[in-house]
Amino acid sequence: MKAARKFPRNTLWLAWIGVLCILIAAGVVAALLVFSKGLVLTNLSDRVPWGLWITIDLSSIAVSAGAFSLCAAVYLLGLKRFQPVARTATFIGLIGYTMALLSLMLDIGRPDRFWHAVVFWNKHSLLWEVTMCVTLYLAVLAIECMPIFARFEWLSRRFPKLTSKMLGLHRFAPILAVIGLGLSMLHQSSLGAIYGVLKARPYWFRPDISVLFIISAVAAGMSLTVFASMISSRLTKKVKVDDDLLDRLAFFIGWILIAYLYFRFWDALAMTYTYEPGRTEGLSLLTQGTLSFNFWIGEILLGLVVPILLLLNKKTRAMPFWRMLALALVVGGMVAYRWDTNLSGLLIVLSYLPGNLAVAYTSYHPSLIENVSGMGILAYGLLAFSLGVRYLRVVNHQEITHHAQEKLVAEPAAAD
Amino acid sequence: MTKFGKFAFSLAIALLAAGITLAIVQAKPETGAPVEQTLNCGNCHAETQEAWHGGAHGLANRDSLFTDAWAEQGQPGACLVCHVTGYDPSTGTWKQDGVSCEACHGQANVNHPAEPMPVQEPAELCGQCHSDARFGWQEWQSSTHYQRNMTCTICHDPHTASLKAVEGQGEEGHSALCINCHRQYSMNFSYSVHKQAGVNCIDCHLRHYGEQADRDVHTMPDHSFTANLDSCNTCHASEMHTSSDEASASLLPIDLSQPETTESGQVSDQPSPLSPYGYAGLAGLLGLAGGMILSPWLDKAYRRVTKDGRKQ
Amino acid sequence: MSEPKLNRRDFLKLSAVGVAVISGLKVIKYATASETEAGPHQWVMVIDQGKCTGCGYCTLACRAHNDVPPHISWNEVTLAGQVGEKPVYIARPCMQCAKAPCVDVCPVQASTYRPDGIVMMDYERCIGCRYCEVACPYSARSFNWETFEGPNPAVPEWGEPEVPRRPRGVVEKCCFCYNRIDRGLSLGLIPGVDPEATPACINICPTGARVFGDFNDPESNVSKLLHERASFRLREELATFPRVYYLPSIPEA
Repeated sequence: MKAARKFPRNTLWLAWIGVLCILIAAGVVAALLVFSKGLVLTNLSDRVPWGLWITIDLSSIAVSAGAFSLCAAVYLLGLKRFQPVARTATFIGLIGYTMALLSLMLDIGRPDRFWHAVVFWNKHSLLWEVTMCVTLYLAVLAIECMPIFARFEWLSRRFPKLTSKMLGLHRFAPILAVIGLGLSMLHQSSLGAIYGVLKARPYWFRPDISVLFIISAVAAGMSLTVFASMISSRLTKKVKVDDDLLDRLAFFIGWILIAYLYFRFWDALAMTYTYEPGRTEGLSLLTQGTLSFNFWIGEILLGLVVPILLLLNKKTRAMPFWRMLALALVVGGMVAYRWDTNLSGLLIVLSYLPGNLAVAYTSYHPSLIENVSGMGILAYGLLAFSLGVRYLRVVNHQEITHHAQEKLVAEPAAAD
Repeated sequence: MTKFGKFAFSLAIALLAAGITLAIVQAKPETGAPVEQTLNCGNCHAETQEAWHGGAHGLANRDSLFTDAWAEQGQPGACLVCHVTGYDPSTGTWKQDGVSCEACHGQANVNHPAEPMPVQEPAELCGQCHSDARFGWQEWQSSTHYQRNMTCTICHDPHTASLKAVEGQGEEGHSALCINCHRQYSMNFSYSVHKQAGVNCIDCHLRHYGEQADRDVHTMPDHSFTANLDSCNTCHASEMHTSSDEASASLLPIDLSQPETTESGQVSDQPSPLSPYGYAGLAGLLGLAGGMILSPWLDKAYRRVTKDGRKQ
Repeated sequence: MSEPKLNRRDFLKLSAVGVAVISGLKVIKYATASETEAGPHQWVMVIDQGKCTGCGYCTLACRAHNDVPPHISWNEVTLAGQVGEKPVYIARPCMQCAKAPCVDVCPVQASTYRPDGIVMMDYERCIGCRYCEVACPYSARSFNWETFEGPNPAVPEWGEPEVPRRPRGVVEKCCFCYNRIDRGLSLGLIPGVDPEATPACINICPTGARVFGDFNDPESNVSKLLHERASFRLREELATFPRVYYLPSIPEA
C-alpha cells in the first residue's frame, strides 16, 4: 500500500488490531451488562425468543464446516494436495466454534449452568445432541490445531519438548478426521432438525431443513476458508497461496451451490401447494413480506445465482477479485439463510383458539446491546484469525508439504 | 502447641458453643404465650396480617368510630360479640382483638403448616356477624348470586375487609368489579347516556336505602342487586308521568372502535413492512458499479460535447 | 503409512460404517422412546366456557399462589368469540400434554413427566435456552427475562405464594399446583373435591367453571362431566394429548 510508506510499516496492521480490540472491548461491556441485568436488555420476547445471537451461533458453526469437509477430503479421500487449505480450515473451525460458544453463553438465560447439558442428558433432544457434539468436536478441533499452535515461534523456543509433542499429534489426524466427520455430519444437520421437528411451527415442520443446513454449511465453510486464504495473501507478502488449489476448491464450491439451489428450490416450491395456516404465511413472509429482501437478494440472487455464475465460469473464477467476491457472497447468503429460517418461524403467531385459522405477525429487530455484543464476537473471530495468519502462518501453502510433515513427526519418535 | 495455637483452638470451641446455644434458643417458640393462645399467624402470613391490620376487620375494636360510640353507649357486651374474637359474656374477656384469623379460620391445628388451615367461605360464615337485621341479609339471600352459590369473598377481600381490586377497564370505582364478570354489559353501557351522565352499576344495582347522613353504620347497600323503580326515581322522579318525547334516553351515536383484547401489544394482523433500506443499499451499489463502468465513456462523451461546443 | 491407498480405503469404510451406526442408533433411540410409567391418578382439568365470564380471577389466584411476576400469566384468559349475544372466553393453563413437545426438546431434561400426568419443571436444572418455549404450541411457557424483585401485587389479596420464586433466566409454567395436590394426597384429601388439595385457579373461580379431578376415577366430577357433555381440547390435530378439556358454550335456547 503506497500510503504506508510515510508511516512505520506495520501501521495498517496495528490500526486493524486496534479497531478489533475496541470492538471486542465494547462487546465485553455489552456482555457484562447482559450478564448483570438479564436478557431484558435485548429485544427478544416470549414470541421471538431466538434472535441475532442464535443466528450468529448457527452461522459460526456453519462457516466452520470447512474444517471437517477439507480434513475428510485430505485424510479420507486421499486428496493430500489440499492439506495446506485443510490446515487453514481447521484453524478457522476452531475460531468459529469458540465464537459459537461465546454467543451461546450470552444467549442462554443461565450461563452459569452451561455445563448442565453435558451432565444431564436428554437423548430425545436435538439441542442436547448438538451441544454434546459441539463440545466433543471442539475437543477434536483443539487437538487437530495443536500442530498449528506448535509452529508459534515463541512457543517452540520456550517449550521445545512440548512443542514437538504437539507437532506429534499430527499422526492422529486421520482418526480425528473420521471422528470429526461423524460428529459434524450429526450436528450440522441436527442444527437444522432443531427447527424441523417442531410441529407447533408449521413452516419449520419438515425434514429437509437438516439437508439444507448441512449442504449450506459445507459450501459456506469451504467458501470462507478459500476467501480467508486469498485475502490474507493479498494483504501481506509473507503469505503464499497455491492459486491452483483454491481454484479447484472454488470450482467444487460452485457445484455444491447448484445442489443446494436445487434442494432450496423444491423446498420452497413444495410449500406453495395447498393452504396450511402458518406454513403458507411463513413462505409469503420470505417471498413477499418482511424477509423478502433477505431472501431474494441476499439468499438467492447474491447468495446463489451470482456466485454460481462467477465460480463455474472459468474466466471469472480465474480472476481473484471476482472469485473473492463470489465466495464472500456465498458466506453472506448462508448467514442470510439462517437468519431467515430462524425468523420465518418465529414471526408467525398461530392462534391456539379452536377453529381459528387466523395468523398474526410479530416483529423483531436486534437491540443495541445485541448488535454491539454480536460485533464483539465477530471482531474476536477476525482478531484470532489475523493473529493466526501472522504468528502461526495458518495460510501458507508453500511451507509444509506432506512428506516434510512426515519427517517432522518421525524425528521426535526417533529422539525418544 | 504454641500459645497462639491454644488460644485459636479454644476460640473455635467457644464460637461453636455459642453458635449451638443460639441455635437451640432460637428454635424455641416465643415465650410468654398462654396455653390458649395459638400460633402467631403473622410469622408466616406476614402480608396477609399486615393487610388485615389496617382494614376494618383488624380495626374492629380499635377504630375510633367504634370505640367512641361503644363508650358512649356504656360499653355494651352485645357489640363485642362481633367486634372481638372469642368474647366470653360471663367474664367479659375475649381471646383476640378485632375479627382475627381464628374468627373465620378456626383454631390452628398443632400440625400446621403440614396440615392446611380450613378456608371455608360460605356466606353463612360472614353471616355470623353480618346477618344482623340491620344489614339487609334477606336481600342478599334473594339475589341470584347467592342462589348460584356465590360467596361474599368473590367481591370482598375478607382480610382487608374491602372490595377486591381488579384492573379497571375504563370504568371507575367499584363498578369495575361488576364489569369484570358481567362483561357483556360493559360494551353497550359504556356508550349509553347513563354512563355519560356519570351513572355507574352500583348507583342502580347496589343502592343504599335512605340518605347518607341518617344512615346507620351497620347498614349495607341492597345486595339483592335488583334495579327497580326506586332506582329510576332516584333521578327521574320528576319525569315519571311526562310524555316520552320529553324524556327520551337514546344511545348516543358513538363509534365502536377496536374492542379491547388481552394480548400484549406486539402482535398485529399484518406482517411488518419490508424495510426499504435493503433495496436502497442495493440500488446504491449498482449505481456505484454502473458509474465506475460507465464513467470513462461518459467522460469521453462529455469531452466530445464540450470540444464540439468550443469548436463551434 | 506403508500402503497409503489401502489405509485410506479402510478409513473410508470405517467412517461410512461409523456414521451409519451412529445414525442407526439415533433412529432406534427415537423409536423406542422410554416413557414414564402411568400412575394411579391421572389429573385432568375441565373448563366450562358456558360458565366462564372472563373475569380473570383464576389468573390472579395463580399469580398469587405461585408468586408469578405481573407481566407473566401462567393461565391466560382471552376473548375467544361470541355465542349468540354472549362473549366466550378461553382460559389457557399449561395443557400438561401426554406427548409434550417441551419434554422432548429440553436439552437438560428440565421438563419431565410425572406418573400422574403433570409435566414438571425443574427450575434448578433449566439453563434458559428457551427451546421449550419455541416448541410449545399453546404459548404456555414464559421466560424470566429479568429478575422479579419486590412484593407481588397479587399478594395477599388473591392468595399467598406456596412455591419459591423463580430466578432470572429460567422458563416457567403452570404445574397444576402439584404442591397442593401432593400435600392433599398425603393428608388423605381428594384433589378436586377438597379445596386444600386443589389448584388455586379451581378454587377461586366464582362461577364454578373450572373443575379438577382424577380421570382414572369413573366417579370423579371430571369423569362424569366428560361422559355427559361434549368436550374439546386445543389443537388436537397436533396429537399432543392435552389434559385440559373445554366444554363449549351452549347458546341459550
